[in-house]
Amino acid sequence: MPVDAEKEITKLYRALHSAQDEIGKTFYRWRQVAVEFAGADANPQDVALRAAEVFGKDIGKSILPRMNWLKGEEGFMMILGKALAGLWNTDGGRATAEKGENPGEVFIKCSRDPWPSWAKQFGVPMEEVALCRERMYQAVLEDVSVFMNISLKIELQKAIPRGQGETILRLYKAE
Amino acid sequence: MAKTLFEWDYSEYPGAKSYPHLFKPIELGNLYVPNRIKYAATEENLNGLDGLITDSGVEYMRQRARGVVGGLCFMQGVFMDEAGKGQGYVGQAAAWDDKFIPGLARIADAIHGEKAIAGFQLMDCGRVGAVEVEAGHGPSTVPQRLRIFKPMVEMTSAEIKEMIQQHVDAARRGIEAGFDAMEISGIVGYLISNFISSYTNRRTDEYGGDIRGRMKAVVEIIQAVKAVCGPDIPVGIRLCSEELLDDVRGNTLEESMETYKMAEEAGADYISCTLGWQESIYPVISRDIPMGNWVHLAKRAKEHVKIPIQMAYRMFKPDLPNEKIGANELDFWEICRSMIADPLMPKKVLEGREEEVRHCVACNLCLARLFRDAPMTCYINPVCAHEANPEFADPAAAEEEKEIMIVGAGPAGLECAAIAARRGHEVHVYDKRDVIGGTLNEAKNAPYGDDELWTCIEYQQVMCEKAGVTFHLGTEVTAELIEEKMPDSVVLATGPVYSKIEGSGGDSAKLVNLLDVMTGKAEVGEKVIVWGNRKPGIGCALHLAKQGKKVTLVGKDKTAGFDVNPSFKWRYMIYMRQNGIVIYNDVDIEEINDEGIVVKSFDGYRWPVNCDTIVVSQREPNESLKKVVQSEGIELFVIGDALIPRNLSSAVHDGYRIGMRI
Repeated sequence: MPVDAEKEITKLYRALHSAQDEIGKTFYRWRQVAVEFAGADANPQDVALRAAEVFGKDIGKSILPRMNWLKGEEGFMMILGKALAGLWNTDGGRATAEKGENPGEVFIKCSRDPWPSWAKQFGVPMEEVALCRERMYQAVLEDVSVFMNISLKIELQKAIPRGQGETILRLYKAE
Repeated sequence: MAKTLFEWDYSEYPGAKSYPHLFKPIELGNLYVPNRIKYAATEENLNGLDGLITDSGVEYMRQRARGVVGGLCFMQGVFMDEAGKGQGYVGQAAAWDDKFIPGLARIADAIHGEKAIAGFQLMDCGRVGAVEVEAGHGPSTVPQRLRIFKPMVEMTSAEIKEMIQQHVDAARRGIEAGFDAMEISGIVGYLISNFISSYTNRRTDEYGGDIRGRMKAVVEIIQAVKAVCGPDIPVGIRLCSEELLDDVRGNTLEESMETYKMAEEAGADYISCTLGWQESIYPVISRDIPMGNWVHLAKRAKEHVKIPIQMAYRMFKPDLPNEKIGANELDFWEICRSMIADPLMPKKVLEGREEEVRHCVACNLCLARLFRDAPMTCYINPVCAHEANPEFADPAAAEEEKEIMIVGAGPAGLECAAIAARRGHEVHVYDKRDVIGGTLNEAKNAPYGDDELWTCIEYQQVMCEKAGVTFHLGTEVTAELIEEKMPDSVVLATGPVYSKIEGSGGDSAKLVNLLDVMTGKAEVGEKVIVWGNRKPGIGCALHLAKQGKKVTLVGKDKTAGFDVNPSFKWRYMIYMRQNGIVIYNDVDIEEINDEGIVVKSFDGYRWPVNCDTIVVSQREPNESLKKVVQSEGIELFVIGDALIPRNLSSAVHDGYRIGMRI
């Protein structure tokens, strides 16, 4: 039976987006559970940020085997930036890493992000989404910084509600 | 005058004439060593989980001591802290208390029983340690690159002093146990190397900073251990001559050589020259690295220090170390994996029995086992780690002499034949080919060092001939032949059969056999599918990619190289990527058509892959002759790929086990 390329690609495309959708929603389902267990006195945003930190720490461990200083500082920063953008793409976003004007500066730009929509479905303030992304990346960089013996920082520069427009984070090496 | 422990005279041995530099004496400090051979300290996970020595550990060492024919024989490195932070292997020997001395003494006695020099090694595994506890210790808290290792906690100055004292206390226990030489392990990511490397030592106190600061703890250890050892026990250290950690900003080559000079100044009596860390991204000792690739590092080390330099690392045969020692570019031939594969290797060299050496094939299965908390084993030496079991180590003569027909002269059949014949059976090996070796005749043509696998066949051939095995090459075994010969036992070692493709087009002219491709008999187009993602398929894919073909590897296993041990598999993955080989795992071939094939994934996705040729490397058990033998009421054994297609190791181990029981 000949392969119907359109059918096969459509099947794959749907499966990928369903999986991404479930990953996002699962995060918010667990967020509900965690907030319930944290009790009435806890700030739900703190709970979510703590989760982002735990995610980032673990993701950082996966990144370490690929860290390579032999490509020089600019090359290293670009590889790291691409890894962070790639992570966002896996989560369903459309992100790229672009070289900044200063040496060792990389901008991670996301032009489409499904996470604010999922947050809205679960009644979560959308600004939390951008803060969680920033916190997760900061946690990724903690181990990378110690491992490479340099101080890496990332900061949120622009966040767009509902993921429309462009979200920008600046990755740089602090002196 | 140097202290002599045992008298050895090699003058009458042929090996001493062929390799005169290997069998000439040297002094290590104040100790006379009659030759230049050293069994390097090697973990084997054979001791108790409590760090106590076992019978298996003692017998393992006794064999290696016999092998060094009077040279240095070092037991595995001991961990020295009760907390177990320095313990890197579940079966690592311990020396953190006097209660370990009697067990350690058993090893020293076993080595002395073979008139060899007993070496004791102090090894805190540092960054590679804490195998049984939550966190390890080191100069700084640098995260682990590999998840299998535990997180690190920075040592305080007091803890560093305590660690130095632990080395002294353990050295004293080694001496009390009767050891003659002392060694400090500072290699591959263990604690000493953690202190030395700029990658893992970020301290700003007296134990950090520049290379002199990073060496301070090491210098203090050498001096303190020297003090407890006295003038008659030489103290050596294993140090990295090149860390291969440039990608994470490790030490420079110049810094590494500085460490050698500082070790010498501190009083070290010799240095064992090593390279690479377990975290290095470069291969160092796998089969794809040419023999003798690193020996120039020993020469460089000798240009920086005056004390003797020892080295191992891809020197499996005696000619190269003999030459380098003669040229004063090396002082000692260290041996590790080669004596795992054949504990008596140097002894056989000395006795002029080189052809009886079972050579290591540099697969690193031994290391892979250690990191998975399993006892040492060897890919091609079935006796390794069974030395304490007489059934394995020295199979008894057969109670009843049998006439045995072995069908297949591959590694399984030859191994079985040699052992069974040695035990007194009359063994006949048949093969339809005109040559021995089975499918290794083709497998040895794969790139990246697979020609070394053939040493296994060379060894087996010699052992079969010495045991009196009769060969019937170019003779296909049929039902009629079995009926005519009516042997007492038949061992089927026929190798596998190659799978048929179930989907439509399974009889396509595009299909060719793996063996024909590897010998150049089959015509292969420019776009090739290799069907079967285990080692034979990988070897074939690389063989064809090297010829410039566009190769796609397609197989049913979830990952390619399921039958390759993890310590080597990563090399194949890199080589396949470098050679542009596309891999589809966990898939089946649904259809073969004019353009190529249709691949179907386990979850139902389908896609076409164009090709001119499909190489079949997917294998299945070989059932032929089984019923014939059973119907005649003859005792039957099936071994190697004929039983279940696996790897060379399984073939050799199957052959040995049946050979010793039949």
